[in-house]
Amino acid sequence: MEPLASARAAMRLLAQETGVTYAPVPPALDGFDVGPGRSRLSGDRYLLHSGSGYRFLYERGVGVRIEIPAAPDPAEEALWFNGSVYAAVASINGLMPIHASAVAHDGRVFAFTGPSGAGKSTLVAALGARGLPMFCDDTLVLDLSDPNEIVCLPGHKRLKLSAEALRLTGAVRQEKVAAMIDKFYAAPPAGDVREPLPLARLTFLEDGSEPALLSVSGAERFARLSDDHHTAAMFAQAQAADLGARFALFARLAPAIPMSRLIRPRDAARFDESVTLAAELVTGQA
Amino acid sequence: MMTGLLRKREGAFAETAIDGEVVVMDLSKGDFFSLTGTAAAVWRRIDGTRDRATLVSEIAAEYDAQSEAVGRDIAAFLDQLDGAGLIDGA
Repeated sequence: MEPLASARAAMRLLAQETGVTYAPVPPALDGFDVGPGRSRLSGDRYLLHSGSGYRFLYERGVGVRIEIPAAPDPAEEALWFNGSVYAAVASINGLMPIHASAVAHDGRVFAFTGPSGAGKSTLVAALGARGLPMFCDDTLVLDLSDPNEIVCLPGHKRLKLSAEALRLTGAVRQEKVAAMIDKFYAAPPAGDVREPLPLARLTFLEDGSEPALLSVSGAERFARLSDDHHTAAMFAQAQAADLGARFALFARLAPAIPMSRLIRPRDAARFDESVTLAAELVTGQA
Repeated sequence: MMTGLLRKREGAFAETAIDGEVVVMDLSKGDFFSLTGTAAAVWRRIDGTRDRATLVSEIAAEYDAQSEAVGRDIAAFLDQLDGAGLIDGA
């Protein structure tokens, strides 16, 4: 199958597999009790129990069942559903989720990754203000079915920004994400992309005293991919990948994905400098 | 010390090359080694046809270095590989 056709089929599959029904969810999976704040992935199934009492059960071919707690919060439900549950559904269906936000340029995807709070969403919003459309926020789903190309599936999540990020980027503030979460939804300034596109580059966001763009080469590319990100571990587990299979996966991805490090001070006064570096990286002027 | 022909222990590791570097993973623990320069050259030559002395003289000739210094470095590297259970004959 032509790569983008395969990715479109994967998008349809994800849409189908994330269909929701509301019904009681059992507290255990394969005899293992899944208590509040815990989750379990086993074969074709995934069970998540939130600290606030939401339970989500995904079964391949069936969809997602959600049990609502006594004090429901639809915003919190959306966060769990679009985050961990979506990543599990993707993983179980052979699609690799990575923790990244991305923009599109010239028919390709430029992704930015880093731990929570690294500024992924803020950077994507700021790049939007410079005319680059958003591809995804927070979760980037990769279709690896074509051996010659890594194709990204467009994001399913809305852009979420803190009040400070809204001020820095000039993005338009929408409703609050959830009562207990100090972030707001925002419209991506240059719109978003709804079509699958090949991955052009993965950039790691890091703190440092001076803005700089550094390339990542050799074994460091491998090491960075094998860093134990939660989503990568989930994908490996869903694919029942032993160490050898995980190594083979990273050995395929590491040479295929150009990588960079974007170092920048976390100083609002110097924010634009790092956005300029990122924009130059994306548009090929770096 | 017992020495013989150096060979990789099949099934104990996985390897791949990226940008001229060799990445070797110890499949029993998940630890991995990044090999560059002489270490990568040594690893590539561990193929069951060379003993330690042959390896040292080949590497010394290739890198135009003194056999004694090369010998020390290679001994330390082979001990590390041996300790990780990746090779036999060290």
